Formats: sequence, structure tokens, C-alpha cells
Amino acid sequence: MADIKLDISPMYEGERIRKEDLWIELAGPKAYGFELSLATPMDQIEDGKVSVVGPELSEIKEGSTIPFGMVFKVGGEKIEKDLESIIERRNHALLSYVSGLMHLNQRYDIWLRMGKVLQKKGVTKWENIFKPIIDLYKAEMPFIEKMEITIITDPAKVKEEEEKARAIYIARDARAKGLHDEDVDVFYGCTLCQAFAPTSACVVSPDRPSLCGAITWFDGRAAAKVDPEGPQFAIPKGESADLITGEYASINEMAAKRSGGEYSIMKLYTFFDAPHTSCGCFETIGFYMPEVDGIGIADRDFKGSAPNGLPFSTMAGQTGGGKQVVGFLGMGILYYFSPKFLQADGGWRRVVWMSKALKERVKVGISEDMLPKIATEEDANDIDSLKKFLLKVDHPVVNGVTRTVDSKKITEGWTLEEISDEIKEKVIAFVEKTGGDIDTEAVKADLGLSEGQFMQVIEALQADGVLE
Amino acid sequence: MGKIIAVTGKGGTGKTAVTAMLVRYLVKESAKKYRMLVIDADADANLADALGVRPEKTIGDMREFMQQSRYSASPETDKQVLFESKLFEILLEAEGFDLLVMGKPEGSGCYCFVNNLLRGIMDKTVADYDLVIIDTPAGLEHFSRKTIPDLDDLIVVTDESRRGLTTGERIRDLAREIEMKYKDLYVIVNKVTPGRKEKVLENAKSLGLKVIGTIPYDESLAKFDLVGDPLMGLPDDSPAVQEMKQVVRNLGL
Repeated sequence: MADIKLDISPMYEGERIRKEDLWIELAGPKAYGFELSLATPMDQIEDGKVSVVGPELSEIKEGSTIPFGMVFKVGGEKIEKDLESIIERRNHALLSYVSGLMHLNQRYDIWLRMGKVLQKKGVTKWENIFKPIIDLYKAEMPFIEKMEITIITDPAKVKEEEEKARAIYIARDARAKGLHDEDVDVFYGCTLCQAFAPTSACVVSPDRPSLCGAITWFDGRAAAKVDPEGPQFAIPKGESADLITGEYASINEMAAKRSGGEYSIMKLYTFFDAPHTSCGCFETIGFYMPEVDGIGIADRDFKGSAPNGLPFSTMAGQTGGGKQVVGFLGMGILYYFSPKFLQADGGWRRVVWMSKALKERVKVGISEDMLPKIATEEDANDIDSLKKFLLKVDHPVVNGVTRTVDSKKITEGWTLEEISDEIKEKVIAFVEKTGGDIDTEAVKADLGLSEGQFMQVIEALQADGVLE
Repeated sequence: MGKIIAVTGKGGTGKTAVTAMLVRYLVKESAKKYRMLVIDADADANLADALGVRPEKTIGDMREFMQQSRYSASPETDKQVLFESKLFEILLEAEGFDLLVMGKPEGSGCYCFVNNLLRGIMDKTVADYDLVIIDTPAGLEHFSRKTIPDLDDLIVVTDESRRGLTTGERIRDLAREIEMKYKDLYVIVNKVTPGRKEKVLENAKSLGLKVIGTIPYDESLAKFDLVGDPLMGLPDDSPAVQEMKQVVRNLGL
């Protein structure tokens, strides 16, 4: 055994083992399997040991595909639970360093092939491959002080252990989903779309996935690691100038640099003041409607006209190209599940309309109290019908939005800019009819006015001396 | 890194049949054996049929899978690793060659990220072969999107007419326009009528085009085409197949 010397080098990464070179196939689409790295206390690791549960390599028929599991126990002073998945993600590259070993995919989707090259080398035992792998991991990640590997080839046992592994993946995912902007030191930028939107500079943070929907913070991290000079790159977060709007000096610097000086301020969680640039790839577009002081959102598949009279394509045309357009904002689907969704503008309390398919799709992300208060094309397709709907449901924009993040009242609610004679007459008629016993529901239904607007007219009439 | 050759030409010129015969020759008759990847990049042609294989899924399908994975994959999923695996899954491993089918074009929405991943993976995939042969439509769409790597040779298949030959010129211009890189551009003239070869070569010369093969009209090929039999089964002595020897020699294979 001592004379088996595997060829291990980064140059073999990406080597594909074709069917005709195949010795044995492990897991993959035709079988099942998993990989799991576990941070383990040092005293529970027998360093350098490879144990096998199930058939030894020499007992497996050439050309066959078998279920396969591998558990890597790693220990070290610096190894904590959250390093587990980082170590596990190295499997793909590091196992592929072994000439004759191909590793694809991750977690319960792994797919390995061993080439005849290994057979020719005289490999007959799992440990012939995995002992050198322990050395490789320790060399590549010196914080691993002890490492032990268990290879599982007994089909029933693979199933059983895979179930246990799945529970661990779920816990890891829950942790990952609970990651927020305040928990990380680095955001990622993306300029992939500058080919057609030259001033576009996208920021991807845990709470603000890319507007195209394709890139999460984790994707940015993975891509920037592979090619730090590539289209996805790290933005060290630094201090925030304003946590509510999501303004960071580091982002402003990045925006100025990557937009070629076009923009010098770019804020993450707002629609209004220096919003994020929109490249044109956005899955959905948000649009501000001053008539109701609220925000509407349409998705790419919405073919009609939004209440502002514009279809998706027209709004996209005005907003795309890497511009910062106050009142329009491209957003990704995943952003609707973020706690920082438009937090500076009132978040969901400021949203008055959504295309129905989109609302249905992101329903879980919408705060429960707001769900019935957001209109769709079935409730309103122009400003008038939207106003009526919002009055009826008592939408926060009608009487003023208090934003959740700091309980600050940020809008005054609807007011009449001009109190016309026509409105005055209507109100007089209404007051006469109801005999001074004012019901706010009737005000909304009969006059189409909010309480505040009604009081505005009453005050004007009092000033005129018409009413007392 | 091996050699990358693309075969293009307008519909009806027999571009796909020529690609299939080239693959057939390299698999069955060539003295040199290659690790060969064949890419069917023409959604309207059916190279797989001509090669007698039946791929189940295409790169287009996997690209859509990736688009959906934005919402379904676990947050920590490495998308590149996932996409690589999905593409290996659809790689059809046949006798003497592997096949990838590009399949349907992109839908609506943004494909920037997924195409960027695809470019990286295709570069890596291609590097794993000695020879890559691509059947591509005359519009060269995949090249303008750069989802297929730079070429060594670009082969234009035409019929024998002078007008047909000018396709070669036009493709040369188009390639320049979309900044597609290749080392050499060659022409294969297909379905040449007996006695016209000299005139065809003269026309090509006047257009500044280098002809690396003139495939005679071939009755056995016509019969295969008529019933739709895979061209891998063409007899060795068929005149069209014979001409491939010349083509392969001219390509330096």
C-alpha cells in the first residue's frame, strides 16, 4: 500500500472522467449519496483514520454505480460550527485535484467518478484515496488540525445517514436565511450588465439580493472568491452613514467608481433619494404614484397597464440602462422577503398595488396586516379606482405612513392641493343630507375623500363662513 | 487545449450532414483517435439524429433549471458547481464522441448571470477534449453571446452556386462584426455536380475563399437522408464519405 502514489494537483481540477475511462461511479443521478463535513471536538477525532461502512473498494464491480456517502470530521482550535459548510464547499475543488477522481455538485446531489487510472495505480481500498485526501485538506486549510473520514457504501446505511445529513443541511439553511446586512463585513458588487448598462453598479447584500434575481450574497461571495477581479467583487462594508436608508461610504465610493462618476450616492433600502441603479434585468419594477403617495409593483410577465397607465415594458425602458431614476426602481423577487424591503419608505405600508401574479407569489413575504390592503389589477387599474380601493381598505398611505423601522411618521396622508368650488359644493350637499351626523365610511364612499381631506374642506368652508 | 472547429452554412446546404460525416470519419476511419466533443448549436437542424443518438436534455433546459434554482436552491448552493454538474448530466457519451445540444434559446428575463456561468463552464469543458466540433446556424448567435469559446477553424458549407459561395464572404463579415475569433475560414462545397468542380474552385478563388473539400452529389447519402437513417451508417466507399479524407487532411487532423 505504501507504494501507491496518487497524482494530486490543481491541474487536474475540471478533469472529466468519461464513460470509457470509468472504473466506478459513486452517487450521482443514477444512485444516491451525500457529503457532510462536521466540526467535531478534537478528542472525538482519530486523526488520519479512514473507516468504511459497507463494501471495500475491491469488492465493487468495475463499471458499476453505487450509493455513496462520505463524512469528514474536522477539528481544530479555530474550527467552529459555521466553518463546516465552508470546508464542505471545498470538496468539489479539492477532491478533483486527485487525478482520476471527479467530484460534481454538492450535499445530497454529489456525483463522483473514479477513473481506471486509479485502478492502474493499484488502488484497492478506500483509504488509498482518502488518506492522501486528509493530508491535502490539512495542507490547504491549516486550521484543520485533526481529520477523520468515514466512507459509507452500504446502500441502506447511506440512506440512513443521508437523512441525518439532511437535517443538518436544513439547520444550516435556516442560519443562512437568518443572515442580515448587519451580520456581515462584506457586501458584493456586480457589473455584469455594464455591457448594455454602462453606469449600472449593483450591490448585493444579504438583505438585498440582486434586482435580476440571479445573485444572492452567497453567490457574490462564491464568484468573487473564484475571480476577485471579475464582474462580482467584494465591497468591504465599513461604517454606515444611515442605517435606515442603507447608505454606506463604501457603496458610494463603489458607485462613483463603477458608474464612471455618474453617481456618487446610492442607497440600498429606498425608492426616493439616490436609489439603487437599475440595469434592465430587474424581475419586477416598482413605481411611485404621487396621486396616492404610494408605490406600485409590476412583474415582467404582467402584460397590462399598471394604474399609472404604463405597462411594464415602458417603465422598464425608462428605468433601465443603469440609471438612478427617482420614483422607479428595479427589484428582484427575493427582495420582497427581506426585512429591509424599502424600509426607509415605509416598506409594505407604502405599497398600494401589485400585479396579481406577483402578489400571489411573494405573499409569504408581505406583512399580514397589509396583505388585504394592497390592490391588484382585479381591484384597480387606474388612479381613480385605486383611490377608492385604498380608501375602502384604510390603507396607511391615506392617513399617513408610520414606518416600522423607527416608528417615525414619514407621510402626512392624502391632502387636497386645491379646494375647488366643486368639492365645496359636494361637501355642503353631503353635510345637508346627513344633517351633520358625519359617518367616515359614507365620506369615503360618497365623496371619495379621506377623513383628512374632508376635514380640509370643512375647515375651508368654516373659513369662508359657510359652515360653523 | 484541443482544436475547436465550427461548421456553419445556410439551411439546405447540407451543413448538418457534412458535420455528421466529419464526425463519422474521425470516429470510424481516422488513424488518429481523438477525445471529441460535438456540440449541436443549431436548434433547427438535428445533428443528434444524423449521428444516431438521442439526447434527452439540452443546455437550454439546464439553463432554465438554473433560472428556477434562484428560488428553490438552498442559500449556500454554489451555482457554478450546480450548473457544472447539470451540464455533465446531459452530456451524451457515445461511441467515440460526446455530444452536447444547445437547445432552445433564452426566454424572457435576465440571463446575464447564468450565461456568464455557462461561458466559464464551457471554456473548462472544451479544454478537456482534443477536438471540438460545433454545428452552428449561419446567424452565429451563440458566438455573439460568447457562450461558445473562440475557434480555430470556421467552416462554411455551401452549395456549388456562385451565390452560395458568397455566403462564405458574408459569414466572414458577420464574424468580424460580432468580434468572433477564429484562426482560419474554410469552405466545403456540397452536392457538386460532376464536371463542375473546376468552375467551383475558380469561383471560390476569385472570392478569396479557401476550399477544403468538394463533396460530390451522392446517391447513397440522398437515400439515407430520404428515410432519415443516421449517417454514421453510411458505407465507407460512398463518394461523400471518401471526400472527408481530404477535408480531414486539409484541416490538419
